[in-house]
Amino acid sequence: MKLNKYRKKSPWILHYNAGGCNGCDIEILACLAPKYDIERFGIINTGNPKQSDILLVTGPVTKRSRERLVEIYNQMPEPKVVISCGACASTGGVFRGMYNCEGGIDQYIPVDVCMRLRYQTPNKSLTGLYRHSPSWLKNQKKWNHP
Amino acid sequence: MYPFIIALFAGPVIVSGLLFILPKSISRILIITAAVVFSSISVYLITRTDQSLQIAVPAFMHQAVVIADLALLLFFGWIAYRRKNLLVGIMTILQLAGTIWLMNQPAESAGFVFNIDKLCLFMFLLINVISGIIAVYSIRYMEEEPCSGLRKKYFMSVIFWFIAVMNLVVASDNLEFFFLFFELTTLASFLLIGFRRDEISVKNSLTALWMNQAGGIAILAAIIFLRYNNAGEASFTHLLQIAAQPGFMLPVALLAVAALVKGAQMPFSKWLLGAMVAPTPVSALLHSSTMVKIAPFVILRLSPALQGTAVSTVIIAFTGFVFAAAAFSALSQDVFKRILAYSTVALLALMIMMAAAGTPVTMAAALILMLFHGLSKCLLFLNAGIMEREFHLKQSTDMDRLAERGPVTSFIITFGFLSLLLPPFGAFIGKWFSIESMGGFAQTSKIAGALVIAAIAMGGAMLSLLYFKVIGVLIARNGNDDRAKPEHIHPIYRFTNYILLVLIVAGMGGLSYLVTEFLAPVIAATLQQPVTAFTSHGSLHIGNMSMPLLPLAIAFFLLPVVLYAAMFIRFKKVDRVKEYMCGEKVNYSFSSYYFSVEKITPWFTVAGILFFITLLAVVIL
Amino acid sequence: MKNEWLQIVLIILAPVIGGLIAGFERIIRARMQRRIGPPLLQPFYDFLKLADKRKMMVHSTHVFLGLMHFLALWFALAVLILGGDLILVIFLHLLSSALLILAGYSTRSIFSHLGANRMAISILAYEPVLILMAVTIYMINGSFDVSVIFSSGESLILKMPLAFIALLMILPVKLKKSPFDVAEAHQEITGGAEIEFSGIFYEAVYTAKWLDNVFCYTLVYLFGAGNPLLGAGLVVGVFLYVNALDNSSARVNYRQMLRFTIGVALPVAFINLLLSILHIL
Repeated sequence: MKLNKYRKKSPWILHYNAGGCNGCDIEILACLAPKYDIERFGIINTGNPKQSDILLVTGPVTKRSRERLVEIYNQMPEPKVVISCGACASTGGVFRGMYNCEGGIDQYIPVDVCMRLRYQTPNKSLTGLYRHSPSWLKNQKKWNHP
Repeated sequence: MYPFIIALFAGPVIVSGLLFILPKSISRILIITAAVVFSSISVYLITRTDQSLQIAVPAFMHQAVVIADLALLLFFGWIAYRRKNLLVGIMTILQLAGTIWLMNQPAESAGFVFNIDKLCLFMFLLINVISGIIAVYSIRYMEEEPCSGLRKKYFMSVIFWFIAVMNLVVASDNLEFFFLFFELTTLASFLLIGFRRDEISVKNSLTALWMNQAGGIAILAAIIFLRYNNAGEASFTHLLQIAAQPGFMLPVALLAVAALVKGAQMPFSKWLLGAMVAPTPVSALLHSSTMVKIAPFVILRLSPALQGTAVSTVIIAFTGFVFAAAAFSALSQDVFKRILAYSTVALLALMIMMAAAGTPVTMAAALILMLFHGLSKCLLFLNAGIMEREFHLKQSTDMDRLAERGPVTSFIITFGFLSLLLPPFGAFIGKWFSIESMGGFAQTSKIAGALVIAAIAMGGAMLSLLYFKVIGVLIARNGNDDRAKPEHIHPIYRFTNYILLVLIVAGMGGLSYLVTEFLAPVIAATLQQPVTAFTSHGSLHIGNMSMPLLPLAIAFFLLPVVLYAAMFIRFKKVDRVKEYMCGEKVNYSFSSYYFSVEKITPWFTVAGILFFITLLAVVIL
Repeated sequence: MKNEWLQIVLIILAPVIGGLIAGFERIIRARMQRRIGPPLLQPFYDFLKLADKRKMMVHSTHVFLGLMHFLALWFALAVLILGGDLILVIFLHLLSSALLILAGYSTRSIFSHLGANRMAISILAYEPVLILMAVTIYMINGSFDVSVIFSSGESLILKMPLAFIALLMILPVKLKKSPFDVAEAHQEITGGAEIEFSGIFYEAVYTAKWLDNVFCYTLVYLFGAGNPLLGAGLVVGVFLYVNALDNSSARVNYRQMLRFTIGVALPVAFINLLLSILHIL
C-alpha cells in the first residue's frame, strides 16, 4: 500500500514568522477563514513542528530568529517541505543588506517552494500551499538518518 | 499455638533489651533474624489457626497493670512538669483521677484478658511483617543519623518495644489492659517523635502526647462508665454482648472516639502531621503498620455493636468529611512527607468509614485498604528516607531531575503513588468497594449517605490530583539520559524496597485468593456471622457485591507491567529529537501546581470539633 | 447471542467509528462557520499520512506511555460496551488518562508539563460528577452494571434529568472542547501533553481522541438506553450541542473551569442523587 499519496491529502502547516512585518501573515491566516477555507484540503495550522509537514516561513530572517528557525526545522520529521512566503523570506526583499537581517531563509534551510512576490494574497498563498507544496511532499523519497 | 503467641508478645521485648547490650555487628544480625522470625510466626498463625484463643493471666497481673498505669502517668506528669506543658498536665491529672477511682473499685472477676481471634491475627500479620521491614531498613538509616551510638541503640530498641506493645494492644480484650497498652503506644510515639531532641521535635512530640492522652481519657471514661453501672467485666467481648441494651452505647461511642483520636481524624490530625519531624522509619512505622492502624482496628472490633446505629452514621459522615477535607488541605503542601501524611489521614478516614459501616463488603474493603495502604505507604515513606539520605531531597519541588539521577527511586515512588490510586491495586479495590457500598448505605440514611458519596468522589479526585502533583516533578527526564544506569543505593534499602514491591504485586495478583481464604474468615469471626466469599464465573463475590476479575487482570498488565516496561524500555531504530521549546535551547527546571487553601482549613478544625460533639450528643440524647 | 456479536464488533470498530465521528465533527464545525470543511474521511487521511512520517521521539518512556494510553482507553471502552461495572469503567478511564499524564510529565518540555498539569486538574473537574452519576444510576437500577441499564428497558433521562444536565456541563472537559479545553489549548500550549509526540507515535494519541469520542457518546447513549431511537436522538443532540458550544465560546482558564464544574455541575448532579435517594424522581 502506497502511503505517500495521503501526504497530499493532509499537509499540516507550521507557520513561522522570522521577523517579518506581518503583512504576509495576515494573508495566510485569511486562508483559514471561511472565504478561502484551506481546511477543505485537509490543511491544518498546527503550530507544532513535530506534527507538521509544511514549514511556512515569512519575513527576512533576522539574526535573532535564525537559530530558532533552524532548530524548528530540525524538529520537523520528514517528509517536510519549506515554503518561503513573500519576497522577504525568499530573498530578503526590502530588508536585504540590512545589518540585522540575513536576507532569505535559503541560506540556512533548503527551500522547496518559493513565493517570491512583493506582497502576498490569500489566493497566491493558496496556490503555493495547495498546488505546489503537496506534490513536493508526495515526491519526497528518502531522508538521511543522522 | 500458645508458645508462638507468647513469642510475639515477649520476643520483641527481649530483642529490645538485647539491642541495648549487644555490639553493633551482632545487633544487626539480631534485628534481621527477629524481623524474619516474627513475620513468619504471624504468617504461620494466620494460616494455621481456625478458632480464637483466649489467654487468661494470673490475678496479680491485674494489680501490676494498675501499678504500671500509675507509673506511666507519673512519668507523663514529670514530662508535663519538665516541659512546662499545661495540656499534658491537665490530661495526666484527669487520667490519674480516673485510674485512682478505678483502683478503689473491687476487682472484677478476672476472665481471659487476651482474645486472639482472626482479626487480631490479621493485625499481627500487618504489624509484624511491615514493622519488621521497617526495622531492617532503619539499620542502615540510623547509621547515617547524626547522633551518639547509644541513642542509635536506644532508637532500635524503642522500635522493637513498639512492635511488642502493638502486638499486645491488638490482642487485649480486657479494657484495662487495652488502656495500658494504648497509653504505652502513646509513650512510644512520644519518645520516637521527640527523638531528635531539637525544639520542633519536642514541641510536636508533646502535641502527640496530649492528643493521644485525650484518646486514653475516652477509654478510661468507657471503663469507668461500665464499672459505675456495674455492667460486669470491662472487656470488648462483654461490651459487644451488652451494647444492644439501651444505655450501653456510650462506652462504645467513647471507645470509637479514642480510635478516631488515634487515627488522627480532623481536629486531632495535627499530631500525625507533626510526627514528620522524626526520623523516617518512625513516620513509616506510625503511618503504615502501627499506631494509626489502631483506629480502624478498634472500629472493626466494635462494628457488630455499631452497625446501623446513629453513632455509626455520625462516624461515617464525619470520616467522609475528613476524607475530603484532608485531601483538600494537602493540596497546598510541598514537603514530601507532609503530603504523605495528609494522604494517610484521608485514607484512614476511608478505612474507619468502611469499618463503621459494618457490612461484610465494607469490612472487606476496610481490611484490604488496611493491608495495601500499609504496604504502599511503607514503600513511599522508606523511599522518602532514601531520597533524603541518598539524594538529599525533602521538598517535592526540589525533586526535579530525580529521574535522571535515580531512575529506580523515581520509578518506585511513582509506582507507590499509583498503587494508592488506580486499578488494579488493592487500595483502588478498597475505594471501589467503598463507593459501591456507600450506595447501599445511602438508601437507608438518605441525605447523610448522599453527602458521604459526594465527599468520597471529591476526596478521591483531589487525592489523585495530589499524587500527580508529586509524580509530575519526579519523572521528567531528558532524551539524552535514556541510557542512564540504575543508581546504586545501599543493599538494605534495595532489599526492603523489593520486598515491599513484591508483596504489593503478589497481593494484587492473589487478591481473590486473599479475600476468600484469609479476609472472609476474619470478617466472619468479627461479625460472628457467616460471610459468603467465593470465586465463580470469573468474578469474586463478597456478600452481595461481585467483582469481575478479568478486567482487573488486564489492568494488571496495563499498569504495573506497563509502568515497569515504560521506565526501562528502549526503542531502537527511532531517531531522537529535542523537546519543543519554541526553537529556544534553554534548560528549565520544573515545579508543580500549588493551591492556596489556608483560608478554608481553619474551619475544618471547627467542623471536626463539632462532629466530635455530635458524636457524643447522639448517644446521650 | 446476536447482541454479544454486536458488542464485539462495536469494540473492534470503535476507532473507526470514532474517526468517522471526528470527521463528521470537522464538517459540522466548518458548516457552522459557513465553511465547506474537509472530507468525511479526513481523519483517516491524517492517520495514513502520520504513519508515513519519519519516526522521531524524545525518549522511549514517553512514546511507550502514549501507546499504552491508547490501549488502556480502548480497554476501558471495551468494559463499558460489554456492560461492566460503571465505577470500574470510570477508574479504568482514569487509568488511561493517568498514562497520558505520566507521558506528559516524563519529558522535560514546558508545554508538555503544562498540559499534563491541566489534564490532572481537569480530572478533578469531571470525575466526581461521573461518580455521582454512577451512584444515581445505582439508586435507580440497584446495580452499577451497565448491562443492567441496557436490560432494564427504561430511559434514564426521565429519571435523572439533572444528572444529564451535569453530564452536558462536563462533556466539554472530557472531550477537550471550548470553553473547557485548557488541557489541550491548541493556540496556547499547542496541544499540551501530546505536543512531543510525532509521526506514528502521535497517531496513538490522535486515535485515542477518537476513542474518547466513542466513550463519551456511549455514556450519553446510556441515558436513552431503553429506547434506541431516544438514545440515538440524545447522541445527535449532544453532538450538535458540544460542537455549537465549541464554536461559540472562548476558552476559560482552569480556575474558572474548576469553579464552574465544582460549583455548578457537581451540585446539580448531587441534587439529582438526593432526589433519587428520596424517591422523588
